[in-house]
Amino acid sequence: MNETTTKPAAKDLDPKLLEVLVCPVTRETLDYDRASQELISRGAKLAYPIREGVPIMLPEEARELED
Amino acid sequence: MSETQTHDQTRTASFGFKQVDWSQKAGMVKGVFDSAAPKYDLMNDLMSFGVHRVWKDMMITKLNPQPGEHLIDVAGGTGDIARAFLDRADAVQRRRGGQPASAIVADINYEMLQAGRKRGLRDHMDWACVNAECLPFEAASAHAVTISFGIRNVTDRAAALSEFHRVLKPGGRFFCLEFSRPTTRALEKMYDLWSFNAIPQMGEWIVKDRESYQYLVESIRRFPIQSAFAAEIEAAGFKNVKVTNFSGGIAALHTGWKI
Repeated sequence: MNETTTKPAAKDLDPKLLEVLVCPVTRETLDYDRASQELISRGAKLAYPIREGVPIMLPEEARELED
Repeated sequence: MSETQTHDQTRTASFGFKQVDWSQKAGMVKGVFDSAAPKYDLMNDLMSFGVHRVWKDMMITKLNPQPGEHLIDVAGGTGDIARAFLDRADAVQRRRGGQPASAIVADINYEMLQAGRKRGLRDHMDWACVNAECLPFEAASAHAVTISFGIRNVTDRAAALSEFHRVLKPGGRFFCLEFSRPTTRALEKMYDLWSFNAIPQMGEWIVKDRESYQYLVESIRRFPIQSAFAAEIEAAGFKNVKVTNFSGGIAALHTGWKI
């Protein structure tokens, strides 16, 4: 079983998914912060967490960003 | 889910037969599915006499997945619709060629998504935790949007329907499978007896959770009948809206097109 070598790491976000994801509040495109595993919406000042490769696109679960 | 708005600004939503505060419903539904996630298929088996798999299969056949198409399956939970969509599209691709199809399984409940991911990940299949009322997807990005046995759990159904319309490409199709209203009195009586008596009892025996199953039964009865729901889909902008009853109306498939 060497599936892990042929597939992207389960914890990383699929780049194809990132292409179609927008902020559910502002509908803007998002910045992927690989280190913190978050999707950043500058307009909404929210950071959406990614858990085990699954983006949690719920504003109530997002971290509020300071200016 | 029928909403009422009164002068004192209290907006309520139906939670089964109870009226609850509008803002509370999503959390309460989440509670039902956190509790039910591990036995979700069993729950649908009980509610449909095991036939929900056949209904889903009929929906996919009608949907006619094609290579290169992109599906968003809302309330996709364990991912069975997305997997079936990709299987069918890939089979066509092997015969005729074309680009691979892709699918996103979108669900508000993270536990449901994790249950689905444990069944296996595959290429061109992604997972996202979303609220159907404000989808995190680009406008005009999908060829098809499906939701099966999920729309009745959405608080603001009109918002969700217009979101489904927004994310579809022109020419895209919306397919919604949901428990509905039996079309004959005899069947309705029998189904009521089964659902109001047997199912909450089985919920208690099998998952030690009578209340969640009581909610599911009641939410099915609260959901608008076929023609009323079709009118809601039309109000969201869909054209050529059609209803197909399955098993005498125990479930119904609603379809609509974005022109």
